[in-house]
Amino acid sequence: MSKRQPYVFLEPSAEAPKYWRTLEERAELSTFATPDLAAKRAAEFPDGHFTTPPSDEAIALGRRGFLGVAGASLALAGTAGCRRPEEKIVPYGKMPEQIVPGVASFYATAIASRGEALGLLVESHEGRPTKVEGNPDHPASLGATDIAGQASILELYDIDRSQAPSKGGKRESFEPFESALKSKLVAADANKGAKLRFLAHPTTSPTELRLRAEMQKRYPSAKLTVFAPLSDGNVLLGTKLAFGKALRPLVDYSRTKIIVSLDADFLQVETGAVRATKQFAASRRLVTATDTMSRLYVAEAHFSTTGANADHRVRVPRSQIAKVASAIAARLGTKHGVALGEVAQVTQGPAKVDGVADAWLDAVAKDLADNRGASAVVVGASQPPAVHAAAAAINAALGNVARTVAYFEPVDAAEGDALADLKALVAEMAAGQVDTLIVLGGNPVYDAPADLKFGDALAKVAFSVHLSSHLDETGSRTTWHLPRAHAFEAWGDHRGVDGTVALQQPLIQPLYQAWSDIEVLSRFTSLTERKGYDLARLTARDHFLGMRGYTLCGSDGVNIQCRDAAGATTVLTTAALEREWKKALYDGRIGATRGGVSDLAVTAATVAQALAKVQAPAPSKGSLEALFIPCAKMLDGRFANNPWLLEMPDPNTHVVWDNPALLAPATALELGIENGDMLDVTAGGQTVKVVAYVHPGTAANVVVLSSGWGRTRAGRLGNGKGFDIGPLRTSAGYHFASAAKVTKSGTTYQVAQTQSHHSAEGRPIAREATLSEFQANPNFAQLQSPTPKLLPLWQPQDYSQGYQWGMVVDLNSCTGCGSCVVACQAENNVPVVGKVEVARGREMHWMRIDRYFVEDPKQGATADDPLVVAQPLMCVHCETAPCENVCPVNATVHSAEGLNEIAYNRCIGTRYCANNCPYKVRRFNYLNWHNDSVWAKEKDYPETYQMQHNPNVTVRFRGVIEKCSYCVQRIQAAKIKAKRENRTIVDGEVRSACQQVCPADAIEFGNLNDPTSRVAKAARNHRNYALLGEIGTKPRTTYLGKVRNPNPDLQKALAASVPSDASAKGHH
Amino acid sequence: MGYYEPLQELDEAYLVAPGSTLAEVTEDIASVTENAAPRGWWIVFMGALSLLALFGGTVGYLFYRGVGVWGNSSPTYWAWDITNFVWWVGIGHAGTLISAVLFLFRQKWRTGINRFAEAMTIFAVMCALIFPGIHVGRPWVLQWMFPLPNQMSLWPNFKSPLLWDLFAVGTYFTVSAMFWFVGLIPDLATLRDRSINKWRQRIYGFLALGWRGSNRHWQNYERTYMILAALSTPLVLSVHSVVSFDFATSVIPGWHTTIFPPYFVAGAVFSGFAMVMTLLLVSRTVFKLHRVVLMRHLELMNKIMLLTGMLVGYAYAMEFFVAWYSGNEYERYVFVNRAFGPYAWAYWTMISCNVLSPQVFWFKKLRRNIPVMFVVSIVINIGMWFERFVIIVTSLHRDFLPSAWGMFSPTVIDLTTYLGTMGVFFTLFMLFLRWLPAVAISEVKGTMPQADPHHHDLVPEGAE
Repeated sequence: MSKRQPYVFLEPSAEAPKYWRTLEERAELSTFATPDLAAKRAAEFPDGHFTTPPSDEAIALGRRGFLGVAGASLALAGTAGCRRPEEKIVPYGKMPEQIVPGVASFYATAIASRGEALGLLVESHEGRPTKVEGNPDHPASLGATDIAGQASILELYDIDRSQAPSKGGKRESFEPFESALKSKLVAADANKGAKLRFLAHPTTSPTELRLRAEMQKRYPSAKLTVFAPLSDGNVLLGTKLAFGKALRPLVDYSRTKIIVSLDADFLQVETGAVRATKQFAASRRLVTATDTMSRLYVAEAHFSTTGANADHRVRVPRSQIAKVASAIAARLGTKHGVALGEVAQVTQGPAKVDGVADAWLDAVAKDLADNRGASAVVVGASQPPAVHAAAAAINAALGNVARTVAYFEPVDAAEGDALADLKALVAEMAAGQVDTLIVLGGNPVYDAPADLKFGDALAKVAFSVHLSSHLDETGSRTTWHLPRAHAFEAWGDHRGVDGTVALQQPLIQPLYQAWSDIEVLSRFTSLTERKGYDLARLTARDHFLGMRGYTLCGSDGVNIQCRDAAGATTVLTTAALEREWKKALYDGRIGATRGGVSDLAVTAATVAQALAKVQAPAPSKGSLEALFIPCAKMLDGRFANNPWLLEMPDPNTHVVWDNPALLAPATALELGIENGDMLDVTAGGQTVKVVAYVHPGTAANVVVLSSGWGRTRAGRLGNGKGFDIGPLRTSAGYHFASAAKVTKSGTTYQVAQTQSHHSAEGRPIAREATLSEFQANPNFAQLQSPTPKLLPLWQPQDYSQGYQWGMVVDLNSCTGCGSCVVACQAENNVPVVGKVEVARGREMHWMRIDRYFVEDPKQGATADDPLVVAQPLMCVHCETAPCENVCPVNATVHSAEGLNEIAYNRCIGTRYCANNCPYKVRRFNYLNWHNDSVWAKEKDYPETYQMQHNPNVTVRFRGVIEKCSYCVQRIQAAKIKAKRENRTIVDGEVRSACQQVCPADAIEFGNLNDPTSRVAKAARNHRNYALLGEIGTKPRTTYLGKVRNPNPDLQKALAASVPSDASAKGHH
Repeated sequence: MGYYEPLQELDEAYLVAPGSTLAEVTEDIASVTENAAPRGWWIVFMGALSLLALFGGTVGYLFYRGVGVWGNSSPTYWAWDITNFVWWVGIGHAGTLISAVLFLFRQKWRTGINRFAEAMTIFAVMCALIFPGIHVGRPWVLQWMFPLPNQMSLWPNFKSPLLWDLFAVGTYFTVSAMFWFVGLIPDLATLRDRSINKWRQRIYGFLALGWRGSNRHWQNYERTYMILAALSTPLVLSVHSVVSFDFATSVIPGWHTTIFPPYFVAGAVFSGFAMVMTLLLVSRTVFKLHRVVLMRHLELMNKIMLLTGMLVGYAYAMEFFVAWYSGNEYERYVFVNRAFGPYAWAYWTMISCNVLSPQVFWFKKLRRNIPVMFVVSIVINIGMWFERFVIIVTSLHRDFLPSAWGMFSPTVIDLTTYLGTMGVFFTLFMLFLRWLPAVAISEVKGTMPQADPHHHDLVPEGAE
């Protein structure tokens, strides 16, 4: 396929030279506009890439427009760029000033991330966004991102994104849609929108909220329903029960000593996981031997990332969490005198929970009571409102509010009882009361509760429109499908949970024709603005005025008249606001973060009443509980066609390309199920087929099913991957279903994993200790397997001069979330190889997160219910690297700065180095992965994906070895910059991709020769040890041992409860 | 014609069937290249050619798509490719041992089998050398392995055992080929002299390098042969020692052991003799060489196999002892894993084939039983293949970090590559049998009673 830009066909003038490709065309040149040839040509340059030939004027403006958008980068460089409100971005034919080819620019923007806005800095190379980083100035990001944030860049370049509107499967353009809509709007205007309905995800966008209100102004009878499979609606309903108004809690984990998580995976899939991880890691950071750390208790049914980081975890089915909450409340109320009122009396008597040791509940209650004002009880979004209300009551009674937990007004007030609202909408649709339905994003045909039969109801709607990035399950059943602009293509804005507003600034002209949500909504308002830029800009103007306490009176284009709270009129110039707009674009946010709501009073009786209602019987052998969890990678299925995420090992199971049903070892044994057995899971009369995977740490009698898989219209890669569990989810049991049955269907299925062996075999690999052991012996990690003094075979290299790069990974901070794996893939053009190749062990990830189960009778951890330790591992850049001396052609050598480098061009692919690597971190291109794996059916590796590639990193061909380079391209960029400025690189200037993305700040990277650098300090930490140092490799990447903080009393009780035969092995 | 017992020293057995004349020996061996090939030859040759075609197709596909068409993975970056390489190199061991070492030790019984063994050596080493060539990721830049002067002054890495390996095997191949060719010269001249066809005359004449059988020719020939034998002898030890360095100098538990060089050499001799035995038994039957390849030859070879089989058995046991004695937990795990892990079947196949099966040769009856030795020789070759598989795959598949552990499973292409090199080997070997004297005519004659200077004193004039 040609790499050149397609020609733009202009009308040929008589004088112009003639260009032709075939004699047939030559013959037709005189009649250039023959319909036949024009049609042929149109087929060659299909609609969508270049729909209309740009006029000369547009081209002229476009260059300057490019400069305009590039302005943010100039702003970032400290220069105020000249910004024009133009939206065109085109490649430049002439060199624009201040854009240096090969030097990346960074733009501040934001994306919505499950009910929270995530502020980003997006790297752009010559107008081509390539890599996502967190915006350090944004409170929800703090410079880090999650998996979804990293993978969002590939969503932009997804080849299966819809490229044009379509009607009934036929490719169309926006013009016929607009005329069709116009006639519908005329009818809607007549009946005030009585038959007009909207279905949207909860929004974080102030502009969208503004436009919703404007829409309601024009169509008072229209209704907008908010539904999303991943929703914090239960949180809002819960706080409404407790406080009388819907609020969203925001926990500051960094100030929390005791954290009790009830089914809340706040480190991975809950709202605001990035900030939570940052703060959680901060609360557990140990620098000196006398430091202390927070303690995390988790009650959950499946092994989540949060559970993996717990000091004490109990396995409780989702339906039983309410009992745990009541039992904790009862203990707090009766034993510790916490003023919980009726909430403490929901459970009568000894307040026991099946499967949960009394000692655990006692310890939790005691720790909470001992740490009033420094503790937090957090509840997962899948829990019923009553449990959220109970947590709110406990937090309030413990005095945690405003100390560790702040409550905020929800951004989208329409988010609430989404299931009930959706039910009402579907009933209207089925009854034929809806004439026009606009679905803004989401995929309700796939993810709405199965019993609502949304798809059938949709057929009864005369005019339905679905705005979505893909022509998916929903879009293929609506009248019209409209392509939705990616966040990096459209203007917008987002308000975070804490109220911080961030601007969403596009990085690139839409690759295909596409509209954003606000652009669609604007068509249902009386406003004249239709462009996302204008819409977002006007909302921002309101913010700027609002921050001054002004309200808008009028504007003449140059001056803006406003009124302040007292009623006095002021005039502001647009130029002043322009400056604020630029600053907001530069910062990526507007203004400061606001505080939480104060003066909260709990109505204990209401909470107690609700809590009493949700106490359910525990699942048993014959009547299992089917648990529906959002896949940590796919979430609700929106990333189902994303190759990085498909291939990313699940943070907990390390399974790729599938979503197996998880079962506890004991339950699997009872049912006679083994890994790879196909299962029929039946609940509520529906059956789904799914493969079994036995996962330690899963609650007994629970089958864990993750959503977001088994899509039928996700795209070329996502279609048919994994298993659709949707049919089991009903409006009554959307988060779990009771009385489920699991039977073997008799067939088997291959599950591919990147790590198939989960025991450390007692080897000193991921070293750990408890807090008391650490305090008694801070050097525990080094002592578990000391590095011996070994005589060198060759003359040792002198590493005392210059930069000496090194890395330290703190196992105590790492949560194992996996963001670094995707970040590394994005930064280093790491290919995707597909399920079959991963099953062969040929995954190409330069870094992996090793996960070991820990069986420790001292802490009550058994094979069925183990502890977990996660260990990120990438090339450790050994000073005496075993890989280097075995390469016959000198393709892998050591640099003077201590990097173990590969010259791809020199590598002939003997793979000897990979064999001799004790860490097994080297990867081999067995095939030409970019087009001989998942893309084997395509002609070539799709060009849009090629656009994502980092131009500073070689794309490797088949037959060569590759591995972590310590992001050498970043080191080089920093060195060039430092050299031009005649200085040395300062600490923190070079950050590896994994370090930059890490929400837990678990990775330090820098110059070991600089004793003041963070990495050198970390290398001097007591807990520092060299992995496999005993074989003499002298790795540059070292680790800080993990420290757990078990409750000493509880630990004693648990150790006593573990049967003695399980105490045979320590580190399993 | 009367029959006379040839002169014998005490305990000396016949090396050629008693009563054979020099002319009969010449006729037996040379006629193989002159008569139409027997049906058996055609059957084997056609089979070999089919495998050769399979090899061509396989290598073409391998080059087209990449090494990924094999089952190699991470962590088993090497698997069948290097297993086959070491196996073929090992097979290529017997030739030089028989020709050179036994020559220097004046083991005259070698003459019946040395030509075979040398040819087999050369063809086996050729097969072996195919693997380093095709197993690399980018075979089109293979020349970077060689120390060729270039404008960038880039040299190979002389620290790399892989490079030592290339030199060792390359040297071994060169010297073996020269040794073989020098030994062929008098016999090529015999073929030339017997030729009744112009082309045969020209080709054999060219190859015989003007050999006239003069005293001076013989003198030069014997000296050269002796020097080459002396040169080859250290190579017998060096080549497989160096091959073993590929593993022994690495850090991988199960590879990193000092016992490897002698252990590999013993194993190589073991497998080489087994392969010679297999081929010899077939050729002897097909070409009716019973007069020059006697049961005595076969029995002596069986004794060597018994000895070397026990040597490798000792090495297997010693590896386990050292793993235990070292106290190194990684090392210990590897050996426990070999015997009881997922590849235990391969390990026990190896033990049964290599250690147990040669034990039948303790019994004279079995040692002299052709079907038994044929089966055992094949079993040993299977066992030696598994030995290399066990060393390579079971060591790699579970090394230091359990998170990186994995399994290896071969693909069809792995199998066709292996069978394909069999095609290369047998095609060459069949051509050799058909067109060159398969037994060293002149050397065999040297062991006959007629070669004794006093032979004519004992045999009355005209009695022969």
